[in-house]
Amino acid sequence: MSAAFPNAVAAAPAPTAQADRRHRMRAGFRAMTPVLAAFAPFALVVGTAVASSSDPWSAWVGTWLVYGGAAQVAVLDVVAHGGGWVSAAIVGLLINVRLAAYAAAMAPAWRAEPARHRIAAAVMLTDAPWALARDRSRDDPAYFLGAALALFLAWPAMVTAGAFVGSRVDAGPVADLLLPLTLGAVVAPQLRRRPAAAAIAAALVTAVVTSDMDAGTALLLAAAAGTAAGLAAERAR
Amino acid sequence: MTVLIAVLVVGAGSLLFRVVPLLGARHLPDPLTNAAGLAGLAVIAALSVRAVLHHEDAGIVAAPLVAAISIGVGLVLAFRGRSVATAVAAGLATYVVLAAALPSPA
Repeated sequence: MSAAFPNAVAAAPAPTAQADRRHRMRAGFRAMTPVLAAFAPFALVVGTAVASSSDPWSAWVGTWLVYGGAAQVAVLDVVAHGGGWVSAAIVGLLINVRLAAYAAAMAPAWRAEPARHRIAAAVMLTDAPWALARDRSRDDPAYFLGAALALFLAWPAMVTAGAFVGSRVDAGPVADLLLPLTLGAVVAPQLRRRPAAAAIAAALVTAVVTSDMDAGTALLLAAAAGTAAGLAAERAR
Repeated sequence: MTVLIAVLVVGAGSLLFRVVPLLGARHLPDPLTNAAGLAGLAVIAALSVRAVLHHEDAGIVAAPLVAAISIGVGLVLAFRGRSVATAVAAGLATYVVLAAALPSPA
């Protein structure tokens, strides 16, 4: 831990270590706070899908259970168009399988953490906190927990608000760019590392080629191409 | 009932995707976690690209191109060390300016 995170002093007395941990957790929470605004337009979309579902309560519960707006909207969309629960589940799982990659990438930094912290991290894991913690703190668990907690508290509230007002609010086309712009800005500094740059470039090309495919399959292909390109770049160094 | 079952299945599966690697963190070899990190970055890049390619704006011509330029401006600033808020604001401002400057579709 201390080798990975210079700010953490392993040999320090427990109260100091606790204070340092709380400080890093607050730093993660603060870093996520401005990013939350980028989720508001998407939360309106998800909230609208929840409100117009044939079973709004179950759809709303999915905000916590699925905890991924794209997968939640896709599941509701498949059901709304007459697909059965099997089709809807396959689509949702395909979109959310990326979370396994995020969790696996976090593993080295979390090996020393107690199981309850790892479970909490898993429950709150999604794109933005993962990208933020990876870029700003090399997956520091305390920083991640702070960032993830901010989104975990805000996201259901935003989706709930979206369920009530989403159909009456038009945020405009520019609002659709908030989320990709924010996620892109969070990971952009990693382009300085050649393997990361290769992975992102390969994913970019793959995403363009697969733009007409369903999101789940396209993201899997982008992940495979990005991983292959990144590993090749590492070996070439 | 269909929505509830689908949500439960996707929720349980998604939780497994998240929990299993973290609970088994001590057993995951470093090369695998490294590859997973690259995969994660690739997915986030792909999510952003798909959002740009599927961007729709009835008020301007070539909306995906305008979106790509706007996001590009934001990403260049972020790459150069500007804050996320600055990069996002610059990207959005670029879109608004370009949208105002470009003619509407006939």
